[in-house]
Amino acid sequence: MRTLLKILLACSLATAVDAKEIKLLNVSYDPTRELYQDYNAAFTKYWKAKTGDEVVVSQSHGGSGKQALSVLNGLEADVVTLALAYDIDAIARAGFLPADWQKHLPDDSTPYTSTIVFLVRKGNPKHIKDWDDVVKPGVIVVTPNPKTSGGARWAYLAAWAYALDKYGHDDAKARDFVKRLYKNVPVLDSGARGSTTTFVERGIGDVLLAWENEAHLAIKEYGTNKFQIVTPSESILAEPPVAIVDKVVRKHGTTEVAKAYLEYLYSDEGQDIAGRNFYRPRSEKVAAKYADQFAKLKLVTVDEVFGGWQKAQKTHFADGGTFDQIYQPE
Amino acid sequence: MNMKTTDMKLKQLMIVTLACLPAGFSVLAGDGTDTNSSGAVQAAPGNSAEAAEIEALKREVQELGQKVRILEQQRAQEQPTAANTNQDQIQALDQKMRILERQRELDQENATALAKTQPRLTVGANGATFSSADTNFVVSLHGVLQADSRTFFDDNGFKGNDGFILRRARPILSGTVFRDFDFLFVPDFGGNTVQIFDAYVNYRYRPALQFQVGKFKSPIGLEALVTDRNILFNERSLATDLVPNRDLGAELHGDLFGGVASYAAGIFNGAPDYNGTTTNADYDNNKAFAGRVFLQPWKTSEVAALRGLGFGLGGSYEVDRAATNTATGLTPGYTTDGQQKFFSYSSGVFADGTHWRLAPQAYYYWGPLGLLGEYVISDQQVTKGTSSADLHNTAWEVTGSWLLTGEDATYDSVTPEHPFDPRNGQWGAWQVVARYANLDVDKNAFPTFASYSSSASSARAWSVGLNWYLNNNIRVDTSFSRTLFCGYTGGTPAVPAQTENVLFTRVQLAF
Repeated sequence: MRTLLKILLACSLATAVDAKEIKLLNVSYDPTRELYQDYNAAFTKYWKAKTGDEVVVSQSHGGSGKQALSVLNGLEADVVTLALAYDIDAIARAGFLPADWQKHLPDDSTPYTSTIVFLVRKGNPKHIKDWDDVVKPGVIVVTPNPKTSGGARWAYLAAWAYALDKYGHDDAKARDFVKRLYKNVPVLDSGARGSTTTFVERGIGDVLLAWENEAHLAIKEYGTNKFQIVTPSESILAEPPVAIVDKVVRKHGTTEVAKAYLEYLYSDEGQDIAGRNFYRPRSEKVAAKYADQFAKLKLVTVDEVFGGWQKAQKTHFADGGTFDQIYQPE
Repeated sequence: MNMKTTDMKLKQLMIVTLACLPAGFSVLAGDGTDTNSSGAVQAAPGNSAEAAEIEALKREVQELGQKVRILEQQRAQEQPTAANTNQDQIQALDQKMRILERQRELDQENATALAKTQPRLTVGANGATFSSADTNFVVSLHGVLQADSRTFFDDNGFKGNDGFILRRARPILSGTVFRDFDFLFVPDFGGNTVQIFDAYVNYRYRPALQFQVGKFKSPIGLEALVTDRNILFNERSLATDLVPNRDLGAELHGDLFGGVASYAAGIFNGAPDYNGTTTNADYDNNKAFAGRVFLQPWKTSEVAALRGLGFGLGGSYEVDRAATNTATGLTPGYTTDGQQKFFSYSSGVFADGTHWRLAPQAYYYWGPLGLLGEYVISDQQVTKGTSSADLHNTAWEVTGSWLLTGEDATYDSVTPEHPFDPRNGQWGAWQVVARYANLDVDKNAFPTFASYSSSASSARAWSVGLNWYLNNNIRVDTSFSRTLFCGYTGGTPAVPAQTENVLFTRVQLAF
């Protein structure tokens, strides 16, 4: 009987050991699907060559704010690659990772950048050239909900920054400018990919306030005979950061591979994949290779114009903030 | 409106113009050389007033011509503008329609997303279940109610009472907390005592590796492990007399290879051979080890005839030292199908030493056919005063069933293909069942540890029955069981004095 018990125990434990495999979950924001599909394939190959281990990376995508909330509600992300630092800060405040997470990787843990541009229909029938054209009456604007979408928050702040410049840093006028913009927004999707669907596939609107990479992706997929990109005179430097979720990787035993996963984003190959997917690489060498695909424009940062994400969030996007005050759905 | 107004003005102007033109032309003609018309005479040269009038008319004609041209130009311009306006309106309407459709689409997506975050309540044939949106927390309420009757024949009034019995009345609370921790709590208000039958927590690391702690069935007997709502007869067979009922302890268990193999191994307080009354505490310091391996090698086979074949081995081992305690550590008695004791140890007999069981077992299910059988050895050292013995009791049983209405027989429940609904000509599932069982007490038990004058040394029983599954919740059974005894030498009114013939009925509600 005792022998039988020992055999049973050994069998069950052996089963547990044999079935072990390295799994990573990357919880990201909406438009990074294609980027991380490419990147995961490259990293898996790299990690196999380096360690001999198989690693399977799963992806989860959605509006950046919603994704952060999902992690807080129990979605066990080994790494998060979200649209803006504030969303990762929210996860850090709950104790999932240290408060100084942004110092753990180069460039404030932002391996690539992007910006907000306009995607318009072929021929640009509404003659949209800059933010002033977007706020004109009768122009239908498509952009996601800043409450849930990181891209939408970048777009909102880009418009606000432009208005501040235009009106000599008059906050009231900037507010009115952005209010006029959102008066032109009939549909608020929860994420950037949803807005792309609204504009591209549902045929709604005259202009999509889009992530630069998302706009290029739409052109790549649907061709220049349907859409064209308009680069405004000024926009915002979007810095989507990445971080390890320490609490989860400790539980999963995936600290080493998660760290390597994010560090590899800074490698030449990682940067090249970012460039190929229309993100602006941090590496000067790789950025030079892809320089032709990115228009030159004035880019301002959240820190410069809004005093950082914490302040911007509190002022504009928190419940009862400016966005709630100016946006009234019809 | 503008278009219509313009058209009307143009028409009026044309009429006026045309009306004026003959007069103008006639004047112009008279202004020439000769004519024989009266008009020409009237327009003869030298009349300055007429000439002025002619000039005025000429200017008027020119002005009218000019106006006509302007109006024609305006009309030419207005026509494409109107077309553009219409086009714009159509486009605006199209956009509004698309926006409304998209908003509806988003509303539906939001509603779906919201539903995923809401707790859920479901009520159905499997009871009532509350669960969190992510199903990590679940609480289910189930129940089993069995209202039986037993009627003994030819017993001269000496055996069990004829009558109705509330055999089981169990509210069942089960659920899950934090996704991986299951629990079950089953009190029983049936019979003559209220007791807790099952109360345990089970941690599921993965299906192959689970850990359960609390009070639950010992993993030994095949028939004993059939859930109470799914047993084929009102009472389990003689073979189950030799395996323990619920016990308290901890068990490692799991299903391997998708259920092709399952195992359970645990440490328990140690329970005597089957006892309808369970305890919630140990009676000695020693522990029992129990385990079971069950295989269904062809569970996933394409050959249907092999899929339902399963076989295994259950067993237990313990060392009893009940002689130092007030409890005997022994069964209070082996009982018949009619729940009458036909064997019990004599007063002063204690479990003292090793007690092991071995239970090879198998079942086979194919279509409506079900077969289940097991053989059980319960080997126990007992003592009475200075005498001791190693008693080797054995039992076995074979049960067969056939679903007359064609449903598949299983180790678990039967699901009627056509639940009872006489208005639509549906009558549920009908099943015939038959069983033969035997139990032999070690001859060495007599006369020191048991008495022929009060106990039989063996019993054999056959039973037949008809089960009617009205639906997944209601079941009506009837069966007849006949038990014969050997070795008894005493007189009446003891149970083994004569053959037991008993008719059972049962109405069961289970959800």
